This record gives sequence, C-alpha cells and structure tokens, in this order.
Amino acid sequence: MLSILRNNVLTLFFIIVLAISFTTDAYSQYLINLMLVYVVVAQGLNLILGFAGMFAFAHGAFMAIGAYVSALLMNTLGVPYLIALPMAGLAAAFVGCVIGIPAIRVSGLYLAMVTIGVSEIVQWVLRHWKPVTGGTDGMLVASPTFFGVEFSDDFQSFYVIFVVCALMTVLAQFVIRSRLGRAFVAIREGEIAAQSSGINVARTKVFAFAISAFYAGIGGSLFSLTQHYINPENFNLYQTIMQFCMVIVGGSASLIGPFIGAVILTWLPELLRNAQAFQEIGFGLLLIVFVIFMPRGLAGLLISRNILPRERFSRAARLRKKPEASTSVVVERP
Amino acid sequence: MEFAFLLSVGVSNGCLYGLVGLGLVLVYNAQGIPNFAHGEFFMATAFAAYVANVLLGIPYALSVLIAIAFGGALGVVVEFLAIRPISTNRALGRASTEVAVVLSTVGLMITIKGLARIPWGDSVRKLPGAFSTDTITIGSLIISTQRLLIIVVAVALTVCLSIFFARTSLGKKMRATSQNTTGAKLIGINTGHIYSATWGLAAICGGIAGILAAPIIFLHPDMGTRMLLKGFAAACLGGFGSVSGVFVGGLLMGIVEIFFGRYLSTSMMDIFAPIIIIVVLLFRPQGLFGTRGAARV
Repeated sequence: MLSILRNNVLTLFFIIVLAISFTTDAYSQYLINLMLVYVVVAQGLNLILGFAGMFAFAHGAFMAIGAYVSALLMNTLGVPYLIALPMAGLAAAFVGCVIGIPAIRVSGLYLAMVTIGVSEIVQWVLRHWKPVTGGTDGMLVASPTFFGVEFSDDFQSFYVIFVVCALMTVLAQFVIRSRLGRAFVAIREGEIAAQSSGINVARTKVFAFAISAFYAGIGGSLFSLTQHYINPENFNLYQTIMQFCMVIVGGSASLIGPFIGAVILTWLPELLRNAQAFQEIGFGLLLIVFVIFMPRGLAGLLISRNILPRERFSRAARLRKKPEASTSVVVERP
Repeated sequence: MEFAFLLSVGVSNGCLYGLVGLGLVLVYNAQGIPNFAHGEFFMATAFAAYVANVLLGIPYALSVLIAIAFGGALGVVVEFLAIRPISTNRALGRASTEVAVVLSTVGLMITIKGLARIPWGDSVRKLPGAFSTDTITIGSLIISTQRLLIIVVAVALTVCLSIFFARTSLGKKMRATSQNTTGAKLIGINTGHIYSATWGLAAICGGIAGILAAPIIFLHPDMGTRMLLKGFAAACLGGFGSVSGVFVGGLLMGIVEIFFGRYLSTSMMDIFAPIIIIVVLLFRPQGLFGTRGAARV
C-alpha cells in the first residue's frame, strides 16, 4: 500500500489538493491556485534549467507575454478562455523560439545575459506601450466563461487551474521521458558529446526554449486568473529569481522537484508579506544555501533517503525490476 | 554647445559603465561566470561612503577610503562564503558548477539588496560630491566637477590596472590563473588567494564607480541592479577580454546612449543597455575588439 503511494506521489498530490479545495476559505484557495500556477511555471523552468542545463532569465517575461496575450484576447476581442489559454502559451513559445534561434549562437553564460536583456525589453514594452498594455497602471483581467457560466471567484477558477496543471504535468512527464528529454540531458552533460551521438543540438535547444516558454506562457495566463489584475511589476526580475528558487529548492532535473519548490515557496512570501527586504533576503539565502549544500534540492534529499523512488526517465530503466542493472541513460547528476 | 555638454555627460557616464564593466570582466576572466552580484558592490560601497561621510561625519577623503576598503572586503568575504564552496565542490560536473556559481551570484544579488533595504527603505538619499564647487567653466562649456572627477579617476584606474596586469607579480599570477587554472596550481600559485584578490579588486572597481556616481544618481538599494546591465553592456562591447577594451566599450555606450536619448527618445535610454547586449552577443560575441577564441571542450 505504502509503496503504491510512494510510486504515485504526484497523483496523491493532485488528489490531496482537490480534497483540500472543498474545505478551504477564500484566502487559502487563492494560495492553492497560486501554488498550482507556480507548479506549471517551475516545471517549464526546470525543463530548460534543470534538464537542458541552459540559463534562461526570461521566464518572468514569458509569463508576462502569456498573461497579457490571454488578457488582451479576452478583454478586447472577447475570445473564450479555452482558446485564449493555448494562444497565451503559443505566443510565449513563439517569443521563446525567436530568442532561442539566435541564442544557439551564444552558449551558456552569454545566454544568461541575452535572456536578461530580453526580459528587460519586455518589461520596457509593457511599461511604455500604454494604449495596449495600460503601462504601469496594469489592466484588469476578465473572468473566463465556460458554457455560459462565469468562473469569477477563486473557488471556480481553481478547477480551471487544477485541470490545466494536471495536463501540463502529464505533458512534462511525456517530454522528459521522450527522446527529446533525453537529448536535453545529453546536451547539458556535454554539447559536443551530444552532437557526436547524433543529436541535432541547435534544434533541441530551440525546442527546449519553446517548450519552456510555453509552460511559462500558460502559467502566466493562469496567473492572471488568480490575480484578476496584472501589471508589469508582477513579472520583473524578482519573479524570475523566485522561480529559480523554486526549481533549485525543489530539486532541478527532477519531476517532483518543481512541486516541492512551488508548494514551499508560494507560502513563504505570504508569511513575509509587506516586507520586501525580508522576502529578498529569504529567497537569496535559500538560493545560495541550496546550491552550496544541496545542489539536487529537496527532491534529491528525499530520493537519497529512499523516501521517494528514484526517478527513471528512460522506458527500459523504468520497466526493469532491478534498478542497479540499469545501463541506460539515467537522468541524474553524479 | 549643447553637443559639447552632452558629450561631457556621455563620456563621464561611459567612464562609470567602464568601471562597472571592468569588475565584471575581472571575475569573468578568472572564473568564466557573469557576476550578477556586481551591481550590489556598487550600491554597498556608495552606501558605506554615505554612512561614513554623512552619518558619522568623517572627512570626505577618509570616508571614501573606508568605503573602498569596505567594498573590497565585501568582495573577498562574499567570494569566500558563497562562491568558493561551490567551485571547489568536486561532486558537481564542470557545467553544473558554472550553473551553480551563477545562481549563487544571483542569490547574493538579491540578498545584499534586501539587506540594504532594511535600514534604507525605498527613499532616495544623496551623497555629497568630492568638491564644494559644483561646476567649472572651460571656455564656454560648463561641466560639473564631479563628472570631471569621474573621467579622471576612470582613466587613471584603467591605466593603473593595465600596468598592474602587465608588470606586477600578483597581476601576472591572476592572468596565469585565468588562462590555465590547473597549470597555475602546478607552478605553485595559490589559486584560492588569486580568486579572493580578483573578487576584492572587482568589488573595489565597482565600489569606486558607486562612490563617484552617488552624487549624480542618488543612493537607493536598487541603484546597483540598474547599473549592472549597463556594465554588462560595456563588457560585451569590449569583448570581456582586456581592461582597455571594456573602458572603450563603456565610453562608446555612454556617448551613444546620451545622444540616442537626447535626439530620439528619453525613455529609450533605459532599454539601450539590453539592446546593446543582445545585438553584440548575437552578431559579434567576441566584442568589438576581441578575436574569436576556440571553444573549450
């Protein structure tokens, strides 16, 4: 019984979240929604930072693109949310591609600077393109309507966010366990080795950017549902650093890591509300302490203590009974 | 006349960007990472000068020295506490080490900023300039004394650092370490000390820029982060290679930025640094003066 639970932690997580949602007050419900949004965003960042080992400082900006695109589509064109949501993801993925294609030319650490530049430019556009984005005043987000029912409060939008988060989790598992996911890891561990084993490095990198940005775009759109109001401040560098923290604290290159990170780090800033200084110190110290002492995050710790099962991303390794005998690619850091 | 005035502002701004970029290049050459915490050295040193000079009433020259010492010490301590444990951790591969070190500098960036926000909050403060007279007139050109000082100090510091790397023993050891860390260790260079010295020196460069800039741009916990991008842009233009390259890159950046802002749109000035970074890295990643090197395998 326990081992079934142990092997299906993520399913358990979704069941618990669903169960809790029947008994919460509005504020906890809002936090649960926010937590699920960050699960989506952190999964996307984890794909690129953890699995593909590429820096992307632009996830705040990708989120912003998702949020503004879906809000604009709904507010001005009256597009239903069922269409606006994927459009938000695709718009972010498109921008991710546009950044990703030239970013192939610059590797590793220059990429960090290109993406931080992009996120500054997106911030600037949001602030100065007043007729469309409302500038620093931000904009109100219309509530989504499904089959004539308006999902206006947090209890209702929970179901939207819950379903999307679950779908995105399934998609993440699919990507990570696919050929593409293994190519991400191969590139992280050595670009030249990956190339010589037949991986199209350039194309894989663009895919990594696009998929990761898609997650951030979807996350941004869901984020706008939780806030009902968005402004450029929501998507600044601080937002990106908080997502870094989620991935690193939870455990990078792990399926379950983003869940752990998002659960913990959504509640932390709420405890430190109205104290920007302490939020910054908290996130900064967490980031430093985890990269120094626990580079594989809490997921790594739980896995090494045998509380969680080891994550095996290739099909052969998952099906095999004896994990020691595995010779296939095991997606874990040495 | 407006042209000459704008030029003087552009050149002095450019000198500041060059100084900030210089610190970034020092760390980049030593450890191959962009140091996101660098802007906070700029901010922390400027605040240290403010505390010494305005709050404690220490004479200006002495408080500047104290602040520079504080900035250098901050650089050394930060390297020792947050960078060295990662770069000496053998359990991580080379790629993972770089990712971890950069994330650590990001963590430092917001930690130091948060620490500065506790006493200083969100209000802006002003550090007095070095001279009691604000402006001097050369011919018909009125130039601020602080801007003149910035130019003089930046040029002097760049020359000193070039000599330092070319002539002194410590400078040569630093160059050796950045070229080949293992080789440097083999011939008996204590690379740990070299990294400490590099971070200390980088923090001092950033700190001097902070003290020089503070009378012009006001003290605020966020002042460092804004400067960081401009420093990155200067370093990218210079190609992350030489001391003089960064200086020229900074100058170019400052001059173009001010004319851009004056004749096209003031709000575009904020976005100029990221545009430079992206354009340069995409089309000429080796910078304006660098030569394309072979990739390490």
